[in-house]
Amino acid sequence: MITVRISFEKKNEASYISLLDLQRVMQRILKRSGLPVWHTLGFNPHIYMTFACPLSLGQESECECVDVKTEAENPDFAQWQTALNAIMPAGIHITHVGPVQMKADLIAYACYEITYPAAAAAVLDQYNALDSAPVEKHGKKGNKIIELKEHIPQVDYTVEGENVRIFLCLPASQQLNLNPSLLTGFLEAKFGLPAVNAGILRKKFLTEDKQLFA
Amino acid sequence: MFDPKLKEALGRVQKPGRYTGGEPGSVYKDKTKMDVRFAFCFPDTYEVGMSFLGEKILYELLNSHENWWCERAFMPWLDMKAEMERLDLPLYTMESKDPLTDFDAVGFTLQYELSYTNILAMLDLAHIPFYAKDRDESWPLIVAGGPCACNSEPIADFFDVIQLGEGENQLPSICAEIEKAKKEGGVSKKELLRRIVKIPGIYIPSFYDVTYYEDGRVKAITPNEPEAPAVITKAIIKDLNEFAPPTNFVVPMVGAIQDRASIEVLRGCVRGCRFCQAGFLYRPMRQRDASLLNRAAQDLCANTGYEELSLSSLSTSDHGQLEELLDDLNEWAPKEHVSLSLPSLRVDNFSESLIEKTTKVRKSGLTFAAEAGTQRLRNVINKNVTWDEIEKTCNIAFRGGYTSVKLYFMMGLPTETMEDIEGIAETAQKVVDLYYANPKRGKGKGVQVTISCACFVPKPHTPFQFVPMDTEEMLRAKQKHLLESVHSRKIKVNYHDSTTSFLEGVFAKGDRRLAPVILEAYKRGCYFDGWEECFKYDTWMQVFEDMGVDPKFYCQRPIGLDEVTPWSHMDYGVTHEYLVREYNKALAAQTTQPCNRACHGCGANKLLGGPCFDYSQNLV
Repeated sequence: MITVRISFEKKNEASYISLLDLQRVMQRILKRSGLPVWHTLGFNPHIYMTFACPLSLGQESECECVDVKTEAENPDFAQWQTALNAIMPAGIHITHVGPVQMKADLIAYACYEITYPAAAAAVLDQYNALDSAPVEKHGKKGNKIIELKEHIPQVDYTVEGENVRIFLCLPASQQLNLNPSLLTGFLEAKFGLPAVNAGILRKKFLTEDKQLFA
Repeated sequence: MFDPKLKEALGRVQKPGRYTGGEPGSVYKDKTKMDVRFAFCFPDTYEVGMSFLGEKILYELLNSHENWWCERAFMPWLDMKAEMERLDLPLYTMESKDPLTDFDAVGFTLQYELSYTNILAMLDLAHIPFYAKDRDESWPLIVAGGPCACNSEPIADFFDVIQLGEGENQLPSICAEIEKAKKEGGVSKKELLRRIVKIPGIYIPSFYDVTYYEDGRVKAITPNEPEAPAVITKAIIKDLNEFAPPTNFVVPMVGAIQDRASIEVLRGCVRGCRFCQAGFLYRPMRQRDASLLNRAAQDLCANTGYEELSLSSLSTSDHGQLEELLDDLNEWAPKEHVSLSLPSLRVDNFSESLIEKTTKVRKSGLTFAAEAGTQRLRNVINKNVTWDEIEKTCNIAFRGGYTSVKLYFMMGLPTETMEDIEGIAETAQKVVDLYYANPKRGKGKGVQVTISCACFVPKPHTPFQFVPMDTEEMLRAKQKHLLESVHSRKIKVNYHDSTTSFLEGVFAKGDRRLAPVILEAYKRGCYFDGWEECFKYDTWMQVFEDMGVDPKFYCQRPIGLDEVTPWSHMDYGVTHEYLVREYNKALAAQTTQPCNRACHGCGANKLLGGPCFDYSQNLV
């Protein structure tokens, strides 16, 4: 039995599906595809699936993945990709299907592109001038204060037409996982820049030694 | 990409996935190539609307026409409604995200009286004028169908077209007329309505005048257009096998209430329970062939990926080939990890083999509708179920491993006394006792019996349309008495709020004078009336008072057997004489046998043009 990684984009309509809902959607899509995916054994067998690093509701991504298992010998992964893309909901596009190369726990960083209306540039300059940017992070073990400046000392941005684009990489390991909404939330609370106007797109995952996770 | 305003709204609301569309199975077309665009509106939340089978049937049917595009719209929840108003974002459809005003026709389904204000809210959100008379050709045609069309008078003035009966032929015929008129060009709205009224089961409210007596009763309902029939007879599909059930569903991605594959095995019901409006509206009973159903079910599960299949109808166990169908389904369903559920079983023909066939994959709770607590009252309402049958069924179920039983009852039924209310508690207690008397019950497990008690609302087109509804005081006293009559912790009692039932009763039997009341209530903030947290009873009562309309006149007054009712011009096949005959039998506690055993002459056979059943065969 081999573990298969299905890599996909989650954009537009699909960015509003939560992880819990996405699991059900994938379960049905895989079932519908008729592909030979492995079911768990037990009283209520279901398709075995593992998602890496869940994405927040409303954020988009070009680098999501779900791992399934198969007992098929020499599966035609290109055919898997075509079969799945034919029945995916709007906003989900499968970019690659293949045997797992890297385990999900190798993910150390997630890189994001954040887009704001151009007027936000002034606020970003103000952020860059700050010495300290403490934010409260809500976690399973209670809330704790994170110093954003330790992770994002400066926001690098480019102005492109009507928008500003920010590119940043944040810790995404099991020890520390920082959501880019901490930054957009801070900018709203401190400077009144509405977080709902920020488009957040996850571009890639990196390993501890900054290798591209695939 | 989404419109920035929509994106902003989605960023601020709970469960934004309800407003984005794009689900597997949703249909996208090139709008520049469309001749007819139809917006199918469900006047409640996405979760409720996506559970509705009728929408799936008509969505597939309309979209099978290459040049028509049927899209969906739902009532946004409170937070989204507020955001849309704040951002001036007009109500849009899930597929194209275009505002409803871009459509040729906007159709609402009338499933529940307490969703009427939501219809007004949706029109308002779409910036469409409420009253039909205020809309010329430039507005979409506003149409409605569904069970509440059988007395749509309280909201008739808001609609251009109301569809009585089954929509499979009717709705495409309306769209065909719209397409024809658009291609001709310059067709006035009135001319279009004159063409549409020729389609079977079409009611054009503006083509009728209603006069009243001084005491408030309806005097006469008269057509004011030569094309309009004096009485509108509902549309019907004579042979259901000509319309296979839909094999493609839009599969919701966020929390629909009924989130499973569902096939309609039969339509109508042979039982003739006197309280049941559906049982009278959908006559005669017609069933689909087992082989057709099996094929459709297999295709539907393959096309959707659903792992649960429900055989739906008003009374699934009355299907003449049910055992055969279950055998066919069990050939493939377990292999595909699909479990079967039969939501509408009758206690009197529930068998051991049936239970075995439905629980091969998964075991769920068991629900019985006993409806009344004593045999006398069950005879009055013609729910021909005896305690012996309940006992037999529960024994089968408990031996089969079931440990939870839900019992449905109603209170406020005609001729009901406190003794009948005590009977509800006694019935539940006897079920608990049965469980513990059963040697094969699940080891170490307790039983949970739930009494779910609704308030009876007399409905048009039933033999009980003549009876007054219980007052709120009477219903509250009965609820209190029921709680006092239950003595076991194994029994849980749920009951329905009597104030919402009261309003349901008013709209169910109301007339056209209620339209301004409903509009005023909406303007004062009443919508989502069917949701307890949103129901503003005091506001409603104040509106009735301010508008000088007495709500009790509509539902708490006995209707004379020869009175002209607001729905007198709507014919669902069952004759007035039959309703009166059944009403008198009810008062005498006399029952009527299911109509597939013997015809009782209700009149609905005329819709088919012949007998409903082949009585030479033994169907039971």
